[in-house]
Amino acid sequence: MMANLSSMLLSTVSTGKPENFWLSEQASTVAQSVDLTFFVITWICYFFFALIVALLVIFAVKYRRTSPDISVSGPTHNTALELTWTIIPLILVVVIFMVGMRGYLNLRVAPEGCYEVSVTGQKWTWTFDHPEYGATQVGELTVPVGKPVRLLMTSNDVIHSVWIPDFRVKMDVIPGRYTSLWFEATKVGDYLLNCTEYCGKDHSKMQAWVHVVPADEFDGDMKKLASEYVDMSAAELPAYAINRLYNRCQSCHSLDGSDSTGPTFKGLWDRVQPGSVEFTSGEKLSSLLGEATVYEQPENYIRASLLDPQKHIVKGYLGSMPSFQGQLKDKQITAIIEMFKHLRDVTDAEGNITVNKDGTPRQ
Amino acid sequence: MTTLNLNNSSDNYLNHTKGIFSWLFTLDHKRIGIMYLVCVLVAFFLGGVFAMLLRFQLLTPEGTLLTQDQYNQAFTVHGAIMVFLVIIPAIPAALGNFVLPIMLGAKDVAFPRLNLFSWWLWVFGLVFFLIALGSGGIDTGWTFYTPYSIDKASSMGGVIPALIGAFILGFSSIFTGMNFIVTIHRLRPKGMTWFKMPLFLWGTYATAVIQVLATPVVGITLLLLIVERAVGIGIFDPAMGGDPVLYQHFFWFYSHPAVYIMILPAMGIVSELISVHSHRHIFGYKFIAYSSIAIAIFGFLVWGHHMFTAGQSQLMNIIFSLITFSVSIPSAVKVFNWLATMYKGSISWNASMLYGMSFIFIFGIGGLTGLYCATLATDVHLHESYFIVAHFHYTMMGSALIGFIGGIHHWWPKMIGKMYSVFWSRVGWAMVFVGFNMCFFSQFMMGSKGMPRRYAQYAEMPQFQIYHIWSTVGSVIMALGFVLTLLYLLHSIFYGKKAPANPWGGRSLEWQCSSPPPWDNFAEQPEVGDCYDYSVLEWNEEEQGYDWKKDAVHPGE
Repeated sequence: MMANLSSMLLSTVSTGKPENFWLSEQASTVAQSVDLTFFVITWICYFFFALIVALLVIFAVKYRRTSPDISVSGPTHNTALELTWTIIPLILVVVIFMVGMRGYLNLRVAPEGCYEVSVTGQKWTWTFDHPEYGATQVGELTVPVGKPVRLLMTSNDVIHSVWIPDFRVKMDVIPGRYTSLWFEATKVGDYLLNCTEYCGKDHSKMQAWVHVVPADEFDGDMKKLASEYVDMSAAELPAYAINRLYNRCQSCHSLDGSDSTGPTFKGLWDRVQPGSVEFTSGEKLSSLLGEATVYEQPENYIRASLLDPQKHIVKGYLGSMPSFQGQLKDKQITAIIEMFKHLRDVTDAEGNITVNKDGTPRQ
Repeated sequence: MTTLNLNNSSDNYLNHTKGIFSWLFTLDHKRIGIMYLVCVLVAFFLGGVFAMLLRFQLLTPEGTLLTQDQYNQAFTVHGAIMVFLVIIPAIPAALGNFVLPIMLGAKDVAFPRLNLFSWWLWVFGLVFFLIALGSGGIDTGWTFYTPYSIDKASSMGGVIPALIGAFILGFSSIFTGMNFIVTIHRLRPKGMTWFKMPLFLWGTYATAVIQVLATPVVGITLLLLIVERAVGIGIFDPAMGGDPVLYQHFFWFYSHPAVYIMILPAMGIVSELISVHSHRHIFGYKFIAYSSIAIAIFGFLVWGHHMFTAGQSQLMNIIFSLITFSVSIPSAVKVFNWLATMYKGSISWNASMLYGMSFIFIFGIGGLTGLYCATLATDVHLHESYFIVAHFHYTMMGSALIGFIGGIHHWWPKMIGKMYSVFWSRVGWAMVFVGFNMCFFSQFMMGSKGMPRRYAQYAEMPQFQIYHIWSTVGSVIMALGFVLTLLYLLHSIFYGKKAPANPWGGRSLEWQCSSPPPWDNFAEQPEVGDCYDYSVLEWNEEEQGYDWKKDAVHPGE
């Protein structure tokens, strides 16, 4: 009976409904069953709330005290009535539970053949890896329309949570284990993904845009993304790095000289090249540069800072940087080094990025 | 006993002894209740200031006056103060302390010294919260979720003092609970069987049981967290093989029952308010009494609904969802019984009753929206959104605190011995009621449309600004309503008319001693009858209060 009821109600809910009084637009297949449950509950709530308020107001007005004298009497209990208003709500909540459970299983059990994306949460950015293409996106996720997508998620630091309101999906992202969620987008467009588990200072900025694109464009976009830096010349790399890679650094490293969890990038090359950086161990970088030393070239120090950041920690900082071993290709590391060398060409004094990825000036 | 136990001499608990130390070290439950009341209201003011900061910050999508860090501190401090220092102690410790022994016809609680110690623990708890604010602040949220709270590099330095504060406040709560359990078991007067107790006592009793059983769990959890943060024992830290979600289970094993610590005594108060101010016998006494116990029991079995999206198994989620619905049944029973109590009553539109009726209205919304949160499919979407913020403000603030304020108005003449302005109390109520609903109803809508909670800015979601503006305007109206309430209550202390022993026509025992009560409450322990049978009372125009009818039979005769 439940199955019939819900499939009957489901047929009245068309796909991709626009925003209404309570909910934003529906942009995924599961949104339908979630919204159906929402409206079943909403109409039950409207009925009971109207009943409660009507009785409250009618009694308050009709029986308003006119004289302080006490003369009232009336029933002190009525078992039949009280059982009625115990049992009717009981039946209704069982119905709500059943509808909600069915919708939930729908949300949680991913269909066969999902397109897989690995998601890493780290204060305060989202990184999306597409293993099928070897492509990585930061702060944005491109997915094909009309194809189920499964996110396999973990965190590098504290608990985060992925919420895409228009898809009606949410799942916590927990350090030390994997969680997953799935969705199938029904409409091409851009949808906001929020972090909804409080994670510190920039929690409210830990957002990403989900770009839903036509399925035939998706493959080309991903291939391009995976290889966009491969053929770039050294001169093109700083603009690429500041636009494509820096968003993984920005939560801890500023561009305007202000202090944060890590040292600012402003003037970093001017500190590294002469070796004036001092470490918590008391050593100076200059003693590690030159012939027959640990680093020899300052570029090697930057490379080591990315791949083995705990090796030398800059004085005054806690060394909370994670390793990017395996996440960055050699050419991308080169791009970051080129970015440091030419930081003045791609940012202004206030730390704003001044170029687009292709090197054209940013408005 | 044919005369009322009225003590007409001017000697009462307020003027029996003098000097600040006669208050700070008093063993009198009434004075301890008043001290709690003052302290809780001061803490409420502090928490309210932080709430206003939050509301003004969110007037624009980019945020107006706070940095991200300051905002995170503000919502943490607001939540921690309101939960640990205000709502949990408000009704049991402040009003309960004052009223409970008198309702029992007793001279005091069972353990007066322990009672005083509870109050001092509350003060020490507050001190540690202030230390936390001064030693780097706290930005973990009042829930102290791991591993953020054990990450010394990113969370602020005041976490350990705040945890110690919450730990101490836990003991304050446990001792109060123990005291009330023993008092209700041992000091009930002749004739007051369990099912003849005023319903406020059932509410406080159910609360006390939760306080004693659940609070030790959070105490142990907070200790573990302190040790984890201080020396790193690897229970909650995933880097050391610990499980950060385990903390959430420990925490909510207490903190979900704790929401019933907040709401049950408020429901007890509302049962009194509705019956007394309608001059109508409470409808379905046993159903209301049993429903308090049912809520207390079910409340222990539903903590997992805070973790529907935290990666616990699907089977667990389904079971927790089902049990969570069970709480809605006794809640619905109470609401319908209160409405039935008003039927054919003589309903006074004074502030106490207006607050009582607003409780039914607001708890109606808070309770019904709980259905969305218990339902798995919808909760996944709504979890950690403003919908949840609105839901728990409707229950914890709009219900528990409105019940508390209704209780203050109900017992104010008894506590202070003065009457407050009828007109201004209605104006204050209207502002609080309208402001509250403006402030929080808009939050339901933005939450279900996609506004996450604990966001210092929402520049990417400017469509929510209009809801935030409504919410902030509502919060200002509500705050002004609270200021007005404070002003007319303070005014009544100095200029109010003297209160009669029984201004409302209540039947429970506290209305049989003078206002304010004498030092030792009753010269001899009174006997009781049906505490909701108002037919034995009659209006006395001269006193502006209620007396026993000349020909009424007193209990025990």
